[in-house]
Amino acid sequence: MHELAMATQLVENVLEEAKRYEAKKVAEVHLTIGKLTFLGIEQMRFSYDILTKDTIMKDSKLIITEQDGVIECQSCGYKGKVPIEDDPAYHVPVPTLRCPKCGEAARIVEGKECTITSIRVLKQQECKDDCKRCC
Amino acid sequence: MTDKEIVKGEEVTLEIKPGMNILEVNKQLAQKNKELLQKHNVKAIDIMGSIGAGKTSLIEQLVQALKQKYRIAVFKGDLTTTIDAERIGRHGVKVVTINTGLECHLDANVVARAVERISLQDIDLLIIENVGNLICPAEFPLGTEKRVVVVSVTEGPYMVLKHPFTFMTADVMVVNKKDLAEIMKIDTNQLAKQAKDIKPDMKFAITNALTGEGIEDLIKALEL
Repeated sequence: MHELAMATQLVENVLEEAKRYEAKKVAEVHLTIGKLTFLGIEQMRFSYDILTKDTIMKDSKLIITEQDGVIECQSCGYKGKVPIEDDPAYHVPVPTLRCPKCGEAARIVEGKECTITSIRVLKQQECKDDCKRCC
Repeated sequence: MTDKEIVKGEEVTLEIKPGMNILEVNKQLAQKNKELLQKHNVKAIDIMGSIGAGKTSLIEQLVQALKQKYRIAVFKGDLTTTIDAERIGRHGVKVVTINTGLECHLDANVVARAVERISLQDIDLLIIENVGNLICPAEFPLGTEKRVVVVSVTEGPYMVLKHPFTFMTADVMVVNKKDLAEIMKIDTNQLAKQAKDIKPDMKFAITNALTGEGIEDLIKALEL
């Protein structure tokens, strides 16, 4: 539901980076979204297209990679995927923070990120000497 | 930092690797809020839950029960109105309304702005009522010591199972409107069990926020 707010921040950050490197166009944005966030990928894409329309990010590709959730148990040191409780009484598999090894409460260490991993931009080639092509 | 430059005619493709976590920005601000509140010995609680779950009524009961023991301030997240703020204000505590406009949640930044509007020296307990929404607020820690999730029995039997990731972010779960459980054919203990299966260290209170029943259990669960 807050994808628009997140996408706004994403676009602002990318434009800032692009400006810093004097890019004239942004070609690709690679984003990692954790599976434990509440961000929908389709909604992110939808917001992204609207927000980039009048910027140098127009028509750039948004490439999203999903990151699995990882939990860590402070009692026994277990680190691994979020376990799924498959109690037939629930009819649905339910993720849990219960440590599969010792049963204590574990905490989330991965899967809550929304990270801009890389951006590909186009930039005018710097002219080192009098090349007569552009100078 | 840049990584590689590929020359292609007159254009250069540049790969920038910012490694920037957009959600981390809120987390860092939340940490700052937490440190500021701890420095002033202010306990803070964030209360989230759907629209109509009974968050405001619960806060009214909490304020009534605790105002002799603590100097309390309440932040009230709401889209546009001050109706709830006025309700809580009648109990004689400081209320700051945070109107989010169309935003579906509070974030650490708006809470930091609201903190500037009160004097932390004059309070010991800050209760923050989040925007009525069971999903988005879970994404944004505010810097409170404890987080409460309120569900009411009128929301049906599947609230917990449908929103496991929301319940993972909470420390205390309130099952409200217990007086309607029988009519709604809801087993409140079953709801609590489901939450415990998802979050093994979850604490519970089963309440009727209109009468104040169960508020003592909530106060105990919050260690107040």
